Amino acid sequence: MKYLKIIILLSLFSSMTAFIVHKFYVSTTNVEYVKEKQTIQIISKIFIDDVEDVLQKRYGNQVSLATKKETKKDEELLEKYLLGKLKIKVNGKEANLQYIGREYETDVVKMYFEITGVSSLQNLEIENKALMELFTEQQNIVHIKTPSKRRSLVLEADNPKGMLNFK
Amino acid sequence: MKLIKYVSVLALFIAAGTMYAQEVESDVVERKPGHTNENRFKQLYEEFSTPNQYRSASGAPGPMYYQQQADYEMDIQLDDKESKIYGNETITYTNNSPDALEYLWVQLDQNVRASDSKTALIEPSGAAPADQASSFVNQYMGAAFDGGFKIQEVKGKGGDNLPHTINRTMMRVEMPENLAPGDKFTFSIKWWYNIPDHTIDRARSGYEVFDDGNKGYVIAQFYPRMAVYNDVEGWQNSQFWGRDEFALPFGDFKVNITVPADHILDGTGVLTNRKDVFTKDMMNRYEQAKKAYETPVIIVNQAEAEAASKGFSTKTKTWKLDAKMVRDFGFATSRRYIWDMMAVKIGGKDVMAVSMYPPEGNPLWEDYSTKVVASTLKSYSRMSFDYPYHKAISVHAKNQGMEYPMICWNYGRPDKDGNYSERTKYGMMSVIIHEVGHNYFPMIVNSDERQWTWMDEGLNTFVQYVAEQDFGEMYPDAIAPNKAYPSRRGPAKNIVDYMAGNQDYIAPIMTKGLNTYNFGANAYAKPATGLNILRETIMGRELFDYAFRTYSQRWMFKHPTPEDFFRTMEDASAVDLDWFWRAWFYSTEYTDIGVESVKKFYVTSKMNKQVREMMETRGMKESDLPPLVYLVEEGSEDFDETMKTATLDDVTTLQEYIMDNIPADQRANLKKPKYFYEVTFNKPGGIPMPIIAEITYADGSTERVTYPAQIWRKNDKSVGKVLASEKEITKIMVDPDEETADIDVSNNSWPAVKMEGDFEKFKNENKN
Repeated sequence: MKYLKIIILLSLFSSMTAFIVHKFYVSTTNVEYVKEKQTIQIISKIFIDDVEDVLQKRYGNQVSLATKKETKKDEELLEKYLLGKLKIKVNGKEANLQYIGREYETDVVKMYFEITGVSSLQNLEIENKALMELFTEQQNIVHIKTPSKRRSLVLEADNPKGMLNFK
Repeated sequence: MKLIKYVSVLALFIAAGTMYAQEVESDVVERKPGHTNENRFKQLYEEFSTPNQYRSASGAPGPMYYQQQADYEMDIQLDDKESKIYGNETITYTNNSPDALEYLWVQLDQNVRASDSKTALIEPSGAAPADQASSFVNQYMGAAFDGGFKIQEVKGKGGDNLPHTINRTMMRVEMPENLAPGDKFTFSIKWWYNIPDHTIDRARSGYEVFDDGNKGYVIAQFYPRMAVYNDVEGWQNSQFWGRDEFALPFGDFKVNITVPADHILDGTGVLTNRKDVFTKDMMNRYEQAKKAYETPVIIVNQAEAEAASKGFSTKTKTWKLDAKMVRDFGFATSRRYIWDMMAVKIGGKDVMAVSMYPPEGNPLWEDYSTKVVASTLKSYSRMSFDYPYHKAISVHAKNQGMEYPMICWNYGRPDKDGNYSERTKYGMMSVIIHEVGHNYFPMIVNSDERQWTWMDEGLNTFVQYVAEQDFGEMYPDAIAPNKAYPSRRGPAKNIVDYMAGNQDYIAPIMTKGLNTYNFGANAYAKPATGLNILRETIMGRELFDYAFRTYSQRWMFKHPTPEDFFRTMEDASAVDLDWFWRAWFYSTEYTDIGVESVKKFYVTSKMNKQVREMMETRGMKESDLPPLVYLVEEGSEDFDETMKTATLDDVTTLQEYIMDNIPADQRANLKKPKYFYEVTFNKPGGIPMPIIAEITYADGSTERVTYPAQIWRKNDKSVGKVLASEKEITKIMVDPDEETADIDVSNNSWPAVKMEGDFEKFKNENKN
């Protein structure tokens, strides 16, 4: 129950029409610990229109993603934005997420990050507040995979952080 | 005696070969408790209700099938200045049921926006660290908008007031006496309400204010509508909470809509006074449009729309629309609309494909909307039945995607300079295909949206996928540089993220829409993907398409239930799909099939250890047995390197059998397999999908073998299969084209390959 987040009247209505576009504000982030490489590989998938909305609200209407008008600066804003919202602690320590790049797939942007030098994994704390400042009903789903375990988190505005122990 | 003995020994070998996964453990482990039939291929007798005279076991309407009829005559006035709408409607309700009705239920969907609406009250809330100002006002400061129906009177035919009770979005109307089977009851309702700004809450209908102050109205759920009474629910009694859409009976409509004289209006039904409301120019252009099969003809052009936008007529015009056999009625009106049309031949009949949009929608709308409507009608007519209405209208309304009979509202707007992204373009095309497609499901195949969202959204999203691909083929220039239309929903692999998700937040498709977690994936994408898997992988297009058309045609202008669909798909194809419905629609199971192990065997006539031991325990000698061929696993005790080079010709028992039993001229037809593999497929997932195995040989050639899903019927966890081959097998891969929504493909190959994941692939590509 505690994951069932605030749905306020306005946001509720906004999810009501017979849309074919995503009616729900959802992002999916896959986090995989690859032991032999000592890395944590992260792929974050977000709807382009949602993230474009949020970037335009923050940085002005000229921001354009996945079009010919997209500039190097727009990509940097996207990177900066997600790095500001996605925080991962590995074994209790804030990790440094290295941005690898991004690609577009139909209406989704896939962003790639990597955390290196992870020789063992006792626990992970993941916070993903992406888009929550604009869409109160945003759900950020995180799937975590280690050589022996799979876990999922559903992060929401009133509970944007999750902790997983692997030992 | 001897014969019996060796038959039983042989039976033992066979059992050992096929049932290894169960072992003979039952001798040593504690006795397990009994159980009921939990087989994944068990028929759905317990889930389905018993067929009856209303609904047949075949999935067709039964001999006593009935449905109610509600006919409407309505006079509607729009107050453009105050954004209010006034109506006076007369409903004639025909009771075709065998039951006497004590009361009638009318739906008041606008009341979801009434100040006493309970919609917000069923949503749990928590204090967000931050909130948008607009959300905050709505949540904590009370609703400023006075929405909902103001019912002024409910009267019988003779002008007598009828007792009525409003329970939120439903109103019970009591009649002077019970309505007997076959009888009609006529009554009238007078009402008005404040039209909401639909851009604030995307509430399916309302107005949008353009920059010049003019409004565009897309009006629906605007009149008190009869609820459905039927053999499965009695009166539809599920309130409109805001998400699950509508359950409506069919009927005929005569509607007069009075709007400012400078408005352009279109809606459900035949415009019966075209000459009164069209200018001479419009009339001429309309006549041309009726013969334009290639390119739309503009009835009201942008310059005319912009000129009209400068005024505000205080005079009015009444548009008269007459619709037969529709379940609902909607219209759109504004002085700012551009209007274009073209004809499309459907089953030898001309249908008009129509678009209505403000200049804000151009250049996108003028270029694509009407063509998309026309192509959608062709695709859906092929997949289901010929479009029976005379027109299909696509209206451009900001952020909307909503369907009504013959008319729908669609989003997709260029920026203020007229630029638009590919995403906006495909978003607009897809939503038009989808909403026009809703004419078939549920406007004509009238399923109950309030209970079963997937029955219209899922089926429609499936046909939408087919129609999108058709559109791409019909207009390759419109989708260039893509080679195929970039569909979001349909392909199996696109549903994997959802089905691999956290089981705590996944509901079976067979759940009322209101109670699902991820509505879009649950009610749209997953059922559409399931049908696509049936069509492409399990049934094949021919069997699937015939059955799907049968369902559409059986239930055209009727009210089907989920079982009617499930039953028809099986009945018309002779494919038992109960296992698929059970797994894909009634559960949250997922697909995961892998190759667990592959053992290599060689053939010899020398008795191996396993058999020798079996013989010894039974006190039998080799001479007791008939000639046998033995399989020896590579690397086992009995294996020696010479077996690798031996051929079947070296196996004497086999040679003797062939020489004695097979005529010389037929011996050449025998295959000469050289390599024997015992492949174990495992199934960590719950769904028993077919095993599609791609076998790669040492010479690089490949071969596909598909084992039907029923291979899992006796063993849900793993199954073995022996492959005998003339060439050495170097690789076996399950589901190579990702057509079964397998959520974990890392176990799909032998030898196990460290799959280069998406991450590594991307990283390596981006290094270069």
